Amino acid sequence: MTVSNMAKRIIEMSNIIKRYYIGQPNELQILNGISLTVHEGEFVAIVGASGSGKSTLMNMIGALDKPTEGSYLLNGVDVSKLSDKQLSEIRNKEIGFVFQTFNLISRTNALKNVEMPMLYAGKGRKERSKRAMELLELVEMEDRSTHKPNELSGGQKQRVAIARAMANDPSIILADEPTGALDTKTGRMVMDIFHKLHKQEGKTVILITHSPELASETERIITISDGSIVSDTGYTGNAPDKEVSAE
Amino acid sequence: MSFFENLKMAFGSIAANKMRSLLTMLGIIIGISAVITITTLGTTLRATVKGALDSLGSNLFYVYLSEKNADNYYDTVEIEVTPDDLIQLSMLEELVEKYPDEIRLADENSAGSGTLRNSENKDVSINIVGAYNGTLDYNGGKILAGRNLTMRDVTERKYTCIVSDIFVRQYFKKGEDPLGRVIIVNTEGGAALELSIVGVYKYNAMINGMGATSEEEMKTPVYVPNTIAQQLQGIYYDPGLWGTMLSFNIKYDSKTVQDHIQSFFDEKYASNKNYGIKISSAMDQLKMIDTVINVITIVVAVIAAISLLVGGVGVMNIMLVSVTERTREIGIRKALGAKKRAIKRQFVTEAIIICLIGGIIGILIGLLNGELVGLVANMLVKSDPTYEDLLGNISIQPSTGAIMISLIFSMLTGVFFGLYPASKAAKMNPIDALRYD
Ligand SMILES: Nc1ncnc2c1ncn2[C@@H]1O[C@H](COP(=O)(O)OP(=O)(O)OP(=O)(O)O)[C@@H](O)[C@H]1O
Ligand SMILES: [Mg+2]
Repeated sequence: MTVSNMAKRIIEMSNIIKRYYIGQPNELQILNGISLTVHEGEFVAIVGASGSGKSTLMNMIGALDKPTEGSYLLNGVDVSKLSDKQLSEIRNKEIGFVFQTFNLISRTNALKNVEMPMLYAGKGRKERSKRAMELLELVEMEDRSTHKPNELSGGQKQRVAIARAMANDPSIILADEPTGALDTKTGRMVMDIFHKLHKQEGKTVILITHSPELASETERIITISDGSIVSDTGYTGNAPDKEVSAE
Repeated sequence: MSFFENLKMAFGSIAANKMRSLLTMLGIIIGISAVITITTLGTTLRATVKGALDSLGSNLFYVYLSEKNADNYYDTVEIEVTPDDLIQLSMLEELVEKYPDEIRLADENSAGSGTLRNSENKDVSINIVGAYNGTLDYNGGKILAGRNLTMRDVTERKYTCIVSDIFVRQYFKKGEDPLGRVIIVNTEGGAALELSIVGVYKYNAMINGMGATSEEEMKTPVYVPNTIAQQLQGIYYDPGLWGTMLSFNIKYDSKTVQDHIQSFFDEKYASNKNYGIKISSAMDQLKMIDTVINVITIVVAVIAAISLLVGGVGVMNIMLVSVTERTREIGIRKALGAKKRAIKRQFVTEAIIICLIGGIIGILIGLLNGELVGLVANMLVKSDPTYEDLLGNISIQPSTGAIMISLIFSMLTGVFFGLYPASKAAKMNPIDALRYD
């Protein structure tokens, strides 16, 4: 029995440390013990100066990277203990990445790009193209489904990329400066889609941005400086933060 | 991800770099096409030679006297041969009687030339040849009308003969039936030989030669029972033979016939301390050709292996370039959840497809080469009727075995040389790969 109206903790990080060049004279510590809890359905913005470690943290959340020290539970699973294969599965099913530079595969069209995560999930051809088409409709790109990335504008590419991130219905959408390469107007459109995903689809969205305006549109702002969280506006959900479940 | 999707992906990226892919395949194309060309020619050569041998004497055995402790025909004879050791005609008659449908005596005995005057008062020259019931086989002739000489003709000294189709045209008027006609041959020795024609055979110019440029002047054999020929030569007893030709009915298996002959003579010579009988066959020649073809095939296979190796290294090189070029793509795929195995499979499949396409193009070129050679060979054969008689239409016969092996080896080349680049791709760190530009 779960208490209604109470979101579960989707990300639980404690004391995450990331170091590069371990054991060498130029050893570098990028994350200095980050502790962070994110609940299902939150819309979080991560802000901070360039080089402060935002992307590093994001990669950690997205299971692209493992922490040097500390523990990270994603949906209750300890990511730091997973094998390479299991990490791939997590990225495939639980995470949807949106990148600043879109990162579409240029050889194939929009539809195929959206299908790709489903391909790696082993879904059948019919199911893939049906779902991909629905997602393209969600981002209002259905009329460009057969276009290759180089036939699309930046904003259109990013919308396709968002559709792709949604392919396997992940628990978290991670967007690292998704509007960084777009003008304000197009950026606005992309931002609206994130709002839509958050409100309509109930997705947990974590967004890195350099724009204070965009950050202020979210529910929670986490500020990072030199590898540490220096401010966090906190969880705004009305569910109690403690006693997650009663069994 | 399914096998089919992997294939589609591989074809997609190969198609995206058509020229480069083609150049990469070149080594494999050359290697495989060389193998297919040579093996096609080899199998065709073998089949053609076998066909020719069949038509002119794969059904022949040479039976010869051999020292019992000697290894082969060419060993020096150390023990003097006595008349008792020689093969007697009576023995051969017995052999032929024992296997009447199977074995024929194919020896021949040139008994000089002769002339006949035809109705137009023109002299027709012939060779008088002492023959048995299988001599025609030995000369590659075929009975066109009437019958062949029989052993009875020989033993009963019948004044019979068979004449060639050419002789019929030289001697008789058009439309005349030569069968049953009696001809009078004037021999070199001055004797006149009266022979009754029992059969007409087709002269095989390939074996016996054209002799003269025009058919009118050609001198073809008139086969008479050898006893008649010997009479002409003043031989009235059986001199015995060191060796003789035997032919057999091709509906029997050559090995069985050989065994029959061998055991027959083994029995005859069982009491002979020094000498026995050995048999060699025309098929021995085919075995020799096989050996030559095999040696050539091995040499070509080695060359092909080298070019596959070079081609494979080329494929590996291009795959490494491709992996580096597509680092970012690999990073994206990994971020989207591609497992190491999926990435590895993607690139290995690509390498295999490149090699397989190369292999298939090579096979097609090889087959085309074979067809071209066949076309030229047939043109040459058709230009000379004697060759055409013997060889007929040469049909190019690609070796299916070689095609299968080529496909398998080009695939293996892809696996072998694709594996390293593919595992390099699979091992990439997704974050570094995503950051690559
Ligand atoms: N693979 C690596 N090896 C060494 N140092 C690294 C590596 N990746 C990142 N860093 C360092 O970690 C620091 C944080 O980088 P990160 O990309 O997280 O910054 P960021 O906050 O995303 O900055 P930006 O806003 O410019 O994207 C930087 O100083 C960077 O040089
Ligand atoms: Mg960054």
